[in-house]
Amino acid sequence: MSSLDSAPSAPKPTASVKLVLLGEAAVGKSSLVLRFVSNDFQENKEPTIGAAFLTQKCTLPNRTIKFEIWDTAGQERFASLAPMYYRNAQTALVVYDLTKPTSLIKARHWVNELHAQASPKIVIALVGNKLDLCNEGGENDEEEDRRKISTEEGRKFAEEEGLLFFETSAKTGANVRDVFLAIASKIPEEIVNKRGGVAGAKGRTGAGEGRVDLESRSGENNAGGCAC
Amino acid sequence: MSLLSTIRNKAAALTLFDPNTERPSRDEIFRQTYRLPANATLQASISTEFSLESSALYFPGRLLLSEAYLVFDSIEARSCYFVMPLVAIRRVERLASKAYLFALTIQTLHGLKFNLQFVGLRSQIEQFCDQLKQNLRSNVSDMRLLRKFLTTLYSEYMLSDTSTSGPDGKREPMAVPPGGLGQLFKYPGDARKLRDKSKLRLWAEYMRDHGRNLTLIRLPTFQKLIRVGLPNRLRGEMWELTSGSMYLRLAHPNLYQSLQKEYVGRTSLAIEEIEKDLNRSLPEYPAYQSEEGIERLRRVLTMYSWRNESVGYCQAMNIVVAALLIYMSEEQAFWCLSMLCDHLLPGYYSQTMYGTLLDQRVFEALVEKTMPILWEHLVKSDIQLSVVSLPWFLSLYVNSMPLTFAFRVLDVFFLEGPKVLFQIGLAILRINGEELLDVNDDGSFISILKDYFSRLGDSAHPTSKNDKLREVTKFQELMVVAFKEFSVITEDIITEQRRKHKNHVLDGIESFAKRTQLRNLHKTGHLSQTDLSNIYDRFFQALQSVRLGLGPTKTLMDMEGFQIFMQGITKWAIEPHDFLARLFHRWDVELRGGLSLQDVATGLGSIMEKDIMNSMAYFFELYDEDGDGKVDREGILQMSEGLLYITRHLTPKPAEGEDMSHQASSNGASPPPRKDEVAVDYLSSISAFIRRAFEYATPDEVEGDSVSEKLIPVDSLSSSNNKVKANAALDPNHPLHITLPTFRMVVLADEALEHFFAHDFAASMKLEPAKGMLREKGTLRELFDTLVSDSMRVAGEVKRRIDEMERQAREQQAREDAVASKPSNQQLQDDEDDEDDSVREKDRDILRGLEIEGVVDLPMKNNLPSRPA
Repeated sequence: MSSLDSAPSAPKPTASVKLVLLGEAAVGKSSLVLRFVSNDFQENKEPTIGAAFLTQKCTLPNRTIKFEIWDTAGQERFASLAPMYYRNAQTALVVYDLTKPTSLIKARHWVNELHAQASPKIVIALVGNKLDLCNEGGENDEEEDRRKISTEEGRKFAEEEGLLFFETSAKTGANVRDVFLAIASKIPEEIVNKRGGVAGAKGRTGAGEGRVDLESRSGENNAGGCAC
Repeated sequence: MSLLSTIRNKAAALTLFDPNTERPSRDEIFRQTYRLPANATLQASISTEFSLESSALYFPGRLLLSEAYLVFDSIEARSCYFVMPLVAIRRVERLASKAYLFALTIQTLHGLKFNLQFVGLRSQIEQFCDQLKQNLRSNVSDMRLLRKFLTTLYSEYMLSDTSTSGPDGKREPMAVPPGGLGQLFKYPGDARKLRDKSKLRLWAEYMRDHGRNLTLIRLPTFQKLIRVGLPNRLRGEMWELTSGSMYLRLAHPNLYQSLQKEYVGRTSLAIEEIEKDLNRSLPEYPAYQSEEGIERLRRVLTMYSWRNESVGYCQAMNIVVAALLIYMSEEQAFWCLSMLCDHLLPGYYSQTMYGTLLDQRVFEALVEKTMPILWEHLVKSDIQLSVVSLPWFLSLYVNSMPLTFAFRVLDVFFLEGPKVLFQIGLAILRINGEELLDVNDDGSFISILKDYFSRLGDSAHPTSKNDKLREVTKFQELMVVAFKEFSVITEDIITEQRRKHKNHVLDGIESFAKRTQLRNLHKTGHLSQTDLSNIYDRFFQALQSVRLGLGPTKTLMDMEGFQIFMQGITKWAIEPHDFLARLFHRWDVELRGGLSLQDVATGLGSIMEKDIMNSMAYFFELYDEDGDGKVDREGILQMSEGLLYITRHLTPKPAEGEDMSHQASSNGASPPPRKDEVAVDYLSSISAFIRRAFEYATPDEVEGDSVSEKLIPVDSLSSSNNKVKANAALDPNHPLHITLPTFRMVVLADEALEHFFAHDFAASMKLEPAKGMLREKGTLRELFDTLVSDSMRVAGEVKRRIDEMERQAREQQAREDAVASKPSNQQLQDDEDDEDDSVREKDRDILRGLEIEGVVDLPMKNNLPSRPA
């Protein structure tokens, strides 16, 4: 929790960063945000109408990033509203559901859309959510493995497109923080207006995390806090 | 059908008019103003003075009559009006006592009596009264339904004891009408604080004097009673009365129930989407944590998605319907939702949500007009207003304000219409203006408003010394600002603004959709982006008659659309033909009976490749229906017809003949090409093709006796069976086929055909930018006008020519009998004889474009009767 302290702490340079969530309906966009902002999970969340707006600060060793999160409606017909929300976004989470192949296709569409229409420097993270429904290798015999999209498939796509890549569970909280931390670290320094060392980032972010074991499943290349 | 009406129909099918850019008709305005069902027309109107028998007040105004409704509207805006279904009128008497002119006394089913004194010419008045009498008579049969309908209304129940003359004088104790979930799960808010009982009493009093539900006379008090908030038990009924959905429900008894039966167990994308949201609709209200509440919500949303499949389900509808269902029965909510989607909030929940986007644009424009400083601040701070306001409009403030306040907004909204959404929105910004000017980012902007909404119940003047003033809540303040200060925002202004911004919004939606779809097309041969863009435009142009931004009416192109599409990119596809059908089926890879944009792009990508080997193989495969690598006799003949069909315009050569109107077409969007061409080269090549194909055909193994004898004499073929084409062409004793290598050989043996497959075929399709895109205003109108005027001009001539054509066709027949393609001729002849009428119709269709010389004419005529008249 220490790394995501939402209360203003030591005077560090703070940068506001606009983040937009995109993805098919019911892949868990709002739930990811809720987990990140309130460390909570709700089974029946009201659908997002148009978009929801939330903020959360994310403290890195050398700076604080204040995420202004635009959580968008996933239903297909709301897609034409999306440009209104991703306009000027510095970062985007494109979310798909690991148990639903069509959602990855939709995610591809969103990535294409962002590449073509959003700010050229936008930092995009591809996030496969609902990791809790995947029971790889039968770790738990009771649970059926509902995974339909392999980690490899997701990662390959992310690499081709130059995206950060994570698999998460908003329900258990697995990797959710890591996504936002990785994005925060990727934010170009000039936004903060002040250059600082970033070497210690990883150590700090890992500290106090109860779910470190799950980190190994995420895209390793992103785990670090390098800002460049 | 007359020629003109054929053309008119054709034009109507091809085009058309975007209903929203056109000024609404008188009937449309009439229906819209009084919220009448879609089939109501304004039959008569007359100046009238209205007075209630029980009061001294009288109102000058106009009496309007439609098939099933009598409407009165006072001259002074909305000081008195009623919308009365004729079935609710019990007696009409001529008033004798009045000294001058002509007056009627009307008694409603609730016993209310009022007088109508007509002003105007005697003849006019009598005409009106005659029409009224006639309409009353024709509505008598619906009276049976009325009794049942009344049992669903709470006002009937509420007043049933005190009613002085109940329906038919019978006074059985009435059962409590089905109501909203509030009856079972308590209504939101504190009834005492809301002074629910007092309001109910006021309503009871009003309704005793001024009628109720269907017979209610609306005086200014009525509007006031609504402004102060409806009592819980009457809210649903008043919503349906003021929105007009009550008239829909009255007009469609049992429709809701029969929809449920009809669609039981069926599933759709909309239903999937609905299921995702059922547990997420006003989850804090207890009913939606119960089976009963969820079931009602499910049924209403699902039934509406079936009733209006083009809308289906849009997120936010769940929230609105969940709100309605607290006060309304399922059936009431269903019709109220119909009224919302179809009339009050047009396009809000549609596939493209253009109505939502448009109204956001309009809202922004109104903010700019009424609060220029705030607007400038928003622009400067790069705060996008619609991000905040969109949910206000889309879920009618239900999700933004505490429920009790949102319902008060709805009370007024249903009575006064969409302008209320704008007035409230503007008032919110006005009241919070000072604070909003202090912030520079979306986040703070949103949180100010969130905070404001959460304090709507607080005093607006907490520090005031004046007790009265201190009691005024922020919500009351909001209502005052909305309806006083922003009373300038009228329905007319909204309409005008919508008209102004509409095209811009639709352009935006369309370019977004196009961009997205083109980006997501799979590999499409060597077609360029420009080609794809043109395909896209033409695809949707052929597919739908309204602007795409208003919502895709279809995504799959049927055969007819395909022909229109192909007609746009080729010179030869000016009428349906077997070849087009084959192409269509070949491209329909998923066997959906329709072509998607992807199908068309892939298909065109493959046939537009200028590779002779591929081209020949592709053509061959079109005719190799079972994919066994063989094309039989019938197939060979059809191949030749296909070739003739495509090539009949490819070789420009002046016509030798006299008659240029053998095949005239009226369905082209462009003026008829004045080329009187004849594909003489191709014609002879194709004749040779048939000859050679039969010559080198392989006899089928099964009965391999005498087939090797070259080709079967055509005469014998045609005479054997001329009813069914397959039989006519196929001599079962001598089956034969050609294979792809044979086909290639036969093609390559002819220079013209070789050139055709190497070049001409692919080149005959040109992906030029679509002309006369729907979006270009006026084009359609012009097209229609041109069609009509052209048709008048040529009508006479055409009739003459049709006869001439038929005569010549028969002569042609005889001439053609000598040629190898005779079997099809023979069949043609028969079809023409059989369906003489449909031929004429069809002829008119193709009146425009082409004139064809006799020879090439034949295979084309073959398909004339194929489309029923």
